[in-house]
Amino acid sequence: MLIPHPLLGLRDAQEFTYLGDASLMDRPDPTLDNAETAFCDYVFMRDNPAGVHRELWFHEQGDRSWLVVTRNTITHEILGAELAKDLKLNRKDAQ
Amino acid sequence: MSRLQGGHIDRNAPLNFSFNGQCYQGYQGDTLASALLANDVQLMGRSFKYHRPRGVFSAGSEEPNAMVELRSGARKEPNTRVTVTELFEGLEAQSQNHIGPLNRDLLAVNDLFAPFFAAGFYYKTFMWPRAFWEKLYEPVIRSAAGLGRLSMEADPDSYDRGFLHCDVLIIGGGAAGLAAALTAARAGAQVLLADEDFQFGGRLSSESHTLDGASASEWVGQTLAELDALPNVKLMTRTTVFGAYDHGVFGAVERVSDHLATPGEGVRQTLWRITAKRTVLAAGATERHIPFANNDRPGIMLAGAMRSYANRWAVSPTRSDADAVAIFANNDDGHLTALDLMAKGVNVLGVIDPREDAPRLGNYDLFAGGVVSGTKGRLGLKSIQITKNGQSQWHDCGALGVSGGWNPNIHLSSHHRGRPVWDESILAFVPGKDGPAGLIPAGAANGQGSTAAALAGGKAAAQEALGDLGLAIRDVVLPEAEDAEIAQAAFWHVPGKGRAWVDFQNDVTVKDIDLAHKENMRPVEHLKRWTTLGMATDQGKTANISALAVMAELTEKSIPETGTTMFRPPYTGVSLGVLGGGDTGSNFRPRRLTPTHHWAAGLGAEFVEVGPWMRAQYFPKDGESHWRETVDREVLAVRSGVGLCDVTTLGKVDVQGADAGEFLNRLYANMIATLPVGKVRYGLMLREDGHAYDDGTCARLAEDHYVVTTTTANAGPVYRNMEFAHQCLWPELDVQMISTTDAWAQVAVAGPNSRALLERIVDDLDLSNEAFPFMGCAELTICGGLRARLFRISFSGELAYELAVPARYGHALMQRLMDLGQDLGVTPYGTETLGVLRIEKGHAAGAELNGQTTPTMLGMDRMVSKKKDSIGAIMSRREGLSENTRRLIGLKPVDPDAPVVAGSHLFAKGAAQDTHSDQGWITSACFSPHLGCHIGLGYLENGDTRLGEIITAANPLEGQEMQLEVVSAHFVDPEGGRLRD
Amino acid sequence: MTDLTPITALGGTSARVQKFGALTISENTELGLASLSLRSGQAAPSPFGLILPDIGRSSAIEGFAAFWTATGQWMIEADGQADRDFAKALKSEAPQCSVTEQTDGFVAFEIESIDGAGPINDVMAKLVNIDPLGFDEGSALRTGLEHMSVFLVRRSAGHIAVIGMRTLADSLWHALSTAAARQNT
Repeated sequence: MLIPHPLLGLRDAQEFTYLGDASLMDRPDPTLDNAETAFCDYVFMRDNPAGVHRELWFHEQGDRSWLVVTRNTITHEILGAELAKDLKLNRKDAQ
Repeated sequence: MSRLQGGHIDRNAPLNFSFNGQCYQGYQGDTLASALLANDVQLMGRSFKYHRPRGVFSAGSEEPNAMVELRSGARKEPNTRVTVTELFEGLEAQSQNHIGPLNRDLLAVNDLFAPFFAAGFYYKTFMWPRAFWEKLYEPVIRSAAGLGRLSMEADPDSYDRGFLHCDVLIIGGGAAGLAAALTAARAGAQVLLADEDFQFGGRLSSESHTLDGASASEWVGQTLAELDALPNVKLMTRTTVFGAYDHGVFGAVERVSDHLATPGEGVRQTLWRITAKRTVLAAGATERHIPFANNDRPGIMLAGAMRSYANRWAVSPTRSDADAVAIFANNDDGHLTALDLMAKGVNVLGVIDPREDAPRLGNYDLFAGGVVSGTKGRLGLKSIQITKNGQSQWHDCGALGVSGGWNPNIHLSSHHRGRPVWDESILAFVPGKDGPAGLIPAGAANGQGSTAAALAGGKAAAQEALGDLGLAIRDVVLPEAEDAEIAQAAFWHVPGKGRAWVDFQNDVTVKDIDLAHKENMRPVEHLKRWTTLGMATDQGKTANISALAVMAELTEKSIPETGTTMFRPPYTGVSLGVLGGGDTGSNFRPRRLTPTHHWAAGLGAEFVEVGPWMRAQYFPKDGESHWRETVDREVLAVRSGVGLCDVTTLGKVDVQGADAGEFLNRLYANMIATLPVGKVRYGLMLREDGHAYDDGTCARLAEDHYVVTTTTANAGPVYRNMEFAHQCLWPELDVQMISTTDAWAQVAVAGPNSRALLERIVDDLDLSNEAFPFMGCAELTICGGLRARLFRISFSGELAYELAVPARYGHALMQRLMDLGQDLGVTPYGTETLGVLRIEKGHAAGAELNGQTTPTMLGMDRMVSKKKDSIGAIMSRREGLSENTRRLIGLKPVDPDAPVVAGSHLFAKGAAQDTHSDQGWITSACFSPHLGCHIGLGYLENGDTRLGEIITAANPLEGQEMQLEVVSAHFVDPEGGRLRD
Repeated sequence: MTDLTPITALGGTSARVQKFGALTISENTELGLASLSLRSGQAAPSPFGLILPDIGRSSAIEGFAAFWTATGQWMIEADGQADRDFAKALKSEAPQCSVTEQTDGFVAFEIESIDGAGPINDVMAKLVNIDPLGFDEGSALRTGLEHMSVFLVRRSAGHIAVIGMRTLADSLWHALSTAAARQNT
């Protein structure tokens, strides 16, 4: 597979390490009353859809950036890739 | 000799070769198949199941029958298709799958028992009596099964791998591929043209068709000359593109020197990973046959193959010039074989065509409305039976060409679950629209069978690719070529009594398909597995569609309703050698050598693989006969003097930035931000699920600068997780990090004399306990100005330091310390001693941090700070984890001579040894020279309150059971005075 | 100056240099290396007068060079400064940045061709999954090479540097020299 790196263009998937569901970026607030329940969901509940999926890839043999790649797990078509750091910062700014 | 006129062979370059010990001669340009046929050898092997005599059936990579053991000795290669084996001087080949001589195979007796070997016989026959399976059936089947035999020697050749990139990959260099290449190349695209054959041209080399009124080879030659001169074109023959992978990635094998007697210095084959923006699939088509009774005799082959042998290799398919050749075809194309053979002076018996209205294309006898209904000739075809209008007649015949139409080579187009589409006009499956993105089928592979259609199809496909890539198209004028429409009948097999083979290699007949139908194994997936159809090394290239048609007839459904054939890589067999790549032995995978590796090797150290690292395991001295003797000496030397150990393998990550402390606070369970500059702290990392993940030390070199260490095994993952934590969780923190594992040679200097030894090399640092206490760290210079870092940390429990210098000085530093420490008892030690020292001290390592342990089990639950958030903190307080009563304890055998076995499970004395009463396990064990007995570490339920209790350790695998006393995990200096003094 | 004698990454007392037809591979033992990272909100400095290069690129001036390694991070190269505290010198040029000594973190192999880009492109095709035609002079990136992570810097059409982990120097040499030797068979 080729991953369309937002900075470096198409790069071979062998340069990357796969992690999975991008919801791992949404770590719960540990100060919440129900923090333990929220963490249980965060750690153990993952989506694994047959179809479009947002997932984390780490460009380990590259610029060491974490990417959020939107991929159709059936066809392997890749619909987009974003830098996780930018996504997270934008989301935090929006809050 | 049945050599004809013409052909693409070099008659000035004769080559000697042998088959089954008999010497023959062929020419440069021959395959082993054409050379054997030229020498009137028709019988080349035996079939898999019935050991039927077989000859060559095709002229290409689809060959099901004629397979040999090629070469001898370590290079012997079984199941090699003679049709794709280029002849070379001195070639040796042996037929395979027979006992005794090829023409008198003892296992041919299987053929007599054929009724017992019908479809599914494995499942039916060997089910009972049950005990017979291991004792009788399996050994007999094993000795009879398989085709060729391996040499059982190591492969002496080298294999290579590489990567290619192009705008347009063209798979297949026949008419369509060459037209596509020319079109794409002239537009300036980066073009890669690959063909499995050793020369380009495809069917153009096998047909007598002209291009622009001249021999096709003229146009092929001109085209290749133009392509070869262009810098944007790479031409690759002997290269099979075997698989289509995601996003325009293809796998290909280049047979670099398979055609040479020995590869010499070079590589045998290269595995190429090709990344193409667009791909033209111009893989041509494969002819199919028409099953009829006894259609598997040597001398019966595909009609198109017969044309290849005549036109390309100038070979007649018969054993004697006097023999006549017949053609059995349900389509016009087959008739061309008769014409071409006649043009070469071969005696043609006639064309048998089941169509009542079959055309007569030349001056040959036509048996319109006729079929071939039987054959004779045990080791080679002697006669055929022609049935017409209910009348059967035998005719002498030395070779029979069969044509049942052509199947486009759609394989790669269905590698991504692309579903082929049935095209009724050509009675074949063509590539569907849902194949791999960017793959454009063209020519015969796309059902464009005539030469003109193939050329135009190749050009159009290239133009489509150029359009996609935004490249300007420059027109290419294609040569004038034949454009005959091929009429054919949907005539799939000749019904009748005898066995009619569909899949030659796996000996599957029409009757087997009939049986599968009766036994309700009707879906093609079931048919395949019940009959083994298409499961041989040729993957049923010449069989699958015919089988589908037979099943369709039986189910009275159409072929597309009955099923379709899907393909997976590889297109043809790929050797494991080339997939494995060239690197073997110590180069099998990269090896990391520590900066003191050569020093340790010079001392005769034994090394051990630790992940990718080679680490010194122990340093035997002359006269030491057992590793334990060495390790005991090293351990005692550390505890009484001073020892040296390379610990560079621990991961080191440099962390800087205004928020470095805050960041590390969130990574480590314990408090890091409060660490003063110039100090080191032990740090425990948890996984987010609350289990212990990794541990190490964290040194603060400046207000905004830390160096953290990880375990050797987790160096990569921890560094990756640190990046995850920064980029995906807390990108707002000002943190920069980079690995420095390799930059510093780090040496543990451990033992009561370590300070005295270091004092001899430091330039001006006060090492007194007051000035540089336990858990201190400093940047300093040693040995007259060499920059270094010193950490006062201890894994052994002794007074100890870790000293880091730029890696290039690690070697010299070790030598210097050894030279200066002789009077202090300086001793190098390896990983074994490291392990014993830490077990004696009760320090957890990989065996204790196995992914299932919690901070509570390690006795570190109070370290998990509640004053801050950190990864895993919340989950570590889950009920199930915090209530876990297992605790890390030490274990000593009641009998001082008894061993302690890691992995043993722990039980209360006298309790039943079952899962229910299991109370824990032994994680690590060693002989402690300090205590003079074996000791262990382990996790035991409520272990912290059971000191002094005698418990049982059981190792049922080895039938071992022992009594152990529960003791503190700190066997050595439990108060920790030594490391603090 | 210390009286300890360093060894090279390949374990020798001098740099290994070997010729393979049109290619020469040499171990660059004199190269000083340090990484430079921007802190939050910082603008890129110009240490020693170097213009820090853009994504996927390198830049060079007399005695110094830099290549991009990640967003806000570069590796700075200093010719002949392997035995000095180059990180310290760099830190004084860019005191606000995070600087980390990397000289001995890596081994640098310079592959030079006497026959222009062709032999370099051919040997690249056997080693890395990077299109050599798109990797022109001034390009720099990190990729995998036989399961090892390496930086590639195209110093000129006929010259590429392969910079890998120092502890993997032997394996990297094996990979490079094998590929170079096979070009001539």
